[in-house]
Amino acid sequence: MGSQMLPLELIDKCVGSRIWVIMKGDKEFSGTLLGFDDFVNMVLEDVIELCDTTWLIRLRMQSTNNNASDYTGARSKLPKILLNGNNICMVHSIALSYGQKSNS
Amino acid sequence: MSEQSPQPNGDAATDGDARDPSGFLSEIIGAPVTVKLNSGVVYKGDLQSVDGYMNIALERAKEYVDGEMKRNYGDAFVRGNNVMYIAADM
Repeated sequence: MGSQMLPLELIDKCVGSRIWVIMKGDKEFSGTLLGFDDFVNMVLEDVIELCDTTWLIRLRMQSTNNNASDYTGARSKLPKILLNGNNICMVHSIALSYGQKSNS
Repeated sequence: MSEQSPQPNGDAATDGDARDPSGFLSEIIGAPVTVKLNSGVVYKGDLQSVDGYMNIALERAKEYVDGEMKRNYGDAFVRGNNVMYIAADM
């Protein structure tokens, strides 16, 4: 039973690394996770905010491509934000999922 | 052993930064911030205070709709349930 891992522990593993946050609706955030609380409110650094991301999601369903470099929708950069956890749908660590970082 | 909470402490991936939002909030009190609501409306102003609901009091608040400045408020209260994010302006 030692291998049991709580959902918030998974997010805790992402602290310090770059993550994707997929929101309810057409919005995503990418940034370095500095911290979070029990509501999954998050402090993010060097954030890119992407709007109108439905096609990005569709792209991901077809391939493993998570690169937003050819994304054409509205985007903005934010140095440091507190993101409300209310509308967060999914969190995805770029490093963890590609095995570049195995932070015990 | 599997008892550890996912909260603060933990092994340091970051350099001594607080790992929950309260540290960030106290850091930006009094500073110029951008508050984006779920509706897309943006308020820029000096952050006077925040609470656990993300209720926000702003001073010298400017309201932006579709990127255009619409209104000025000397003091503005934003109810927390509408807030998508609070960004520090640097």
